[in-house]
Amino acid sequence: MAYSDKVVDHYNNPRNVGTLDKSSQEVGTGLVGAPECGDVMRLQIRVNPETQVIEEAKFKTFGCGSAIASSSLATEWIKGRTVEDALAIKNTDIVKELSLPPVKIHCSVLAEDAIRAAIGDWKKKNGVAETETAPAEAKA
Amino acid sequence: MLKVLDSAVPVACWSCSVAHNDATLFCPHCSKIQPPPGGDYFSVFGLEPRLNLDLAALEQEFHRLSRRLHPDRFARAGENEKQWSLADTALLNDAYRTLKDPIHRTEYLLKLHGAEIGDEHSGKDRRDPSRVPADLLEEVFELNMQLEEMRMARSAGETDTELQASLEQAKRKFDGLLEDVDKDLRNEWQAWDEGDDVARKAAQNKMVALLDRRRYLSNLVRDVTETLGA
Ligand code: FES
Ligand SMILES: [Zn+2]
Repeated sequence: MAYSDKVVDHYNNPRNVGTLDKSSQEVGTGLVGAPECGDVMRLQIRVNPETQVIEEAKFKTFGCGSAIASSSLATEWIKGRTVEDALAIKNTDIVKELSLPPVKIHCSVLAEDAIRAAIGDWKKKNGVAETETAPAEAKA
Repeated sequence: MLKVLDSAVPVACWSCSVAHNDATLFCPHCSKIQPPPGGDYFSVFGLEPRLNLDLAALEQEFHRLSRRLHPDRFARAGENEKQWSLADTALLNDAYRTLKDPIHRTEYLLKLHGAEIGDEHSGKDRRDPSRVPADLLEEVFELNMQLEEMRMARSAGETDTELQASLEQAKRKFDGLLEDVDKDLRNEWQAWDEGDDVARKAAQNKMVALLDRRRYLSNLVRDVTETLGA
C-alpha cells in the first residue's frame, strides 16, 4: 500500500519529535497504544497556565508510518491552540489531511487519543475539571 | 473468508448418490473421494469445534487422511478425483496447521463465532479501553526507547553492556508475561468448551482481550530478540 505524499513528508521530517519534562506542572503527558498492532505513542504538551494555550507539543511514536505522521501532524495542529480548542480535533480530520486508507484509520485514532490523554493529564495535574468532550454527537 | 458455523448441509455423493453431510473428504457410504467440503476445519477431522483437543489423535487422523489422499492413489482415477485429491490435501494441510497450534486454533474458532481478531477490527471496537493493555504501556514505551538506543549504539559500532543486560532482563520479563497469558487462555478454553451460551460469550470476550495482549507482548519479544541478536 502506498503512503500519501503528506504521510511520507511527515514520516521523513517528523515535526516536534522529543520529550518534555514529565514532572513539570505545566506539562501534560499522554501515552496510548493501539491493540491492533502494538504500536505506542507518547504525546506531551506544555500549557501556559495563564492563557491555557498549548505552547509546546512533542511526540515520540513507535509505530507505522501513518502513526508517526498522525502524531506529527497532531502536534503541529495543537500548538498555539487552547486546550479546549485542541480537544475539537478529530481523528477524521487527520484521516482527511493525510488521506489515510481505511486500514490505517486506527493510527489516526491513536493520535486523537494521545491528544486527549495529554490534555486529561494536564487537567488532572492542574485541578481543571474534565469537560464532557463527547465528539460530534454533542453538537448534532 | 470463513464460513459461519452451520456445516451439516447434506449433499449427495457424486459417485453413489447417497447423501452425507458436507464436511467429509470421503463418502462414508462408498468411500470415494469428495470435492473439498464447505465446513470448518474441525469438521475436516470429524471433530466438534473445541479448544481442548487431543493433539495426538489429531495428528493420527491427519496422517491417516493424508495417506488416503496421496496422489499415488489417484494415478488411475478420473480427472475430477485427481483434482479433488490435490484440493482436499491443501485443505487438510491448512486445517491441520491451524488446529494443531493453540493460538491459531483459538483465533480460528473465535473468528468462526464472529469475533474480530487483530487488525480485522479496524474501527468498531476501537474505543473500548479494555482492549489496550494499559498496564503495560509505560514499560512498552520504555522498552522501545531502549531498543532504539541499542540500535543507535550498534550502528555507531559501540556496545553498551549495561543496556544489553537491561534488555535481556526485559525480554525475560515479557517472556514470563507471555506465559501467563497462555495460561489464562487455556483456562478460558475449558470455559468455552463446557459452557452454555452465556459462559461461552464471556469466555470469548476474555480470549479476544488475551489475544490482543498476547500479540502486543509477542511483538515486543520479537523486537527485543531481533535487536539483541543483531
Ligand atoms: S498500524 Fe498501528 S498505528 Fe499504524
Ligand atoms: Zn458415495
